[in-house]
Amino acid sequence: MSGVSTAAYFARRAAQKERVRILYRRALKDTLNWAVHRHIFYRDASDLREKFNANQDVEDIDRIDKLIAHGESEYNKWRHPDPYIVPWAPGGSKFCRNPTPPAGIEIVYNYGLEDNP
Amino acid sequence: MALRNAILRHLRVPVQTLGLNQSQIGFLGSIRSFSSHDDHLSREAVVDRVLDVVKSFPKVDPSKVTPEVHFQNDLGLDSLDTVEIVMAIEEEFKLEIPDKEADKIDSCTLAIEYVYNHPMSS
Repeated sequence: MSGVSTAAYFARRAAQKERVRILYRRALKDTLNWAVHRHIFYRDASDLREKFNANQDVEDIDRIDKLIAHGESEYNKWRHPDPYIVPWAPGGSKFCRNPTPPAGIEIVYNYGLEDNP
Repeated sequence: MALRNAILRHLRVPVQTLGLNQSQIGFLGSIRSFSSHDDHLSREAVVDRVLDVVKSFPKVDPSKVTPEVHFQNDLGLDSLDTVEIVMAIEEEFKLEIPDKEADKIDSCTLAIEYVYNHPMSS
């Protein structure tokens, strides 16, 4: 391969970079889910960062694809069964708890005259 | 019975249907005083907190941080460092940013805009 730099090559590399970023983000959140205490989380997060940094200079596109697939399978293996999700987000405990009532609905109090309007 | 009705007719306060806007409330306070949805952050508070988060990042030089920095171009950070900063901002403001949106946050301006316009940032 003479390093053909076409638009398709760059598009593929950009897609791979986005996959790597999203994978790193999810893996970091997972690490925080598993390691609740901050000092353990910092240690595990730096280990994760080392794993990502070790492969950052690979240039062969197919090898990059294989590494990303391997990373995603590792992430799927280590996903936490009960992740922390912010309460109001989908999956959290407060999601859809108090939806805003539809406009135009009101209660009219008819004091004292409920029996004979 | 008729006497009761006559007295009640005297005493009855005509019921106003809704229209209770902010200026009429007076001592009652805000109409949704038990809701947590009406305390939006001011822009200066958002800017200060975002800059604090960025400055406390170990790989960042605190003197270079301004509200218009670009993480990769100006501060010389990696794309993975950007991911870490976005996660720190999420934790600071108790937000949950979807993955596609979080990928687009590349600079301080974008981060401040996103946090300021998000309805649930606190």
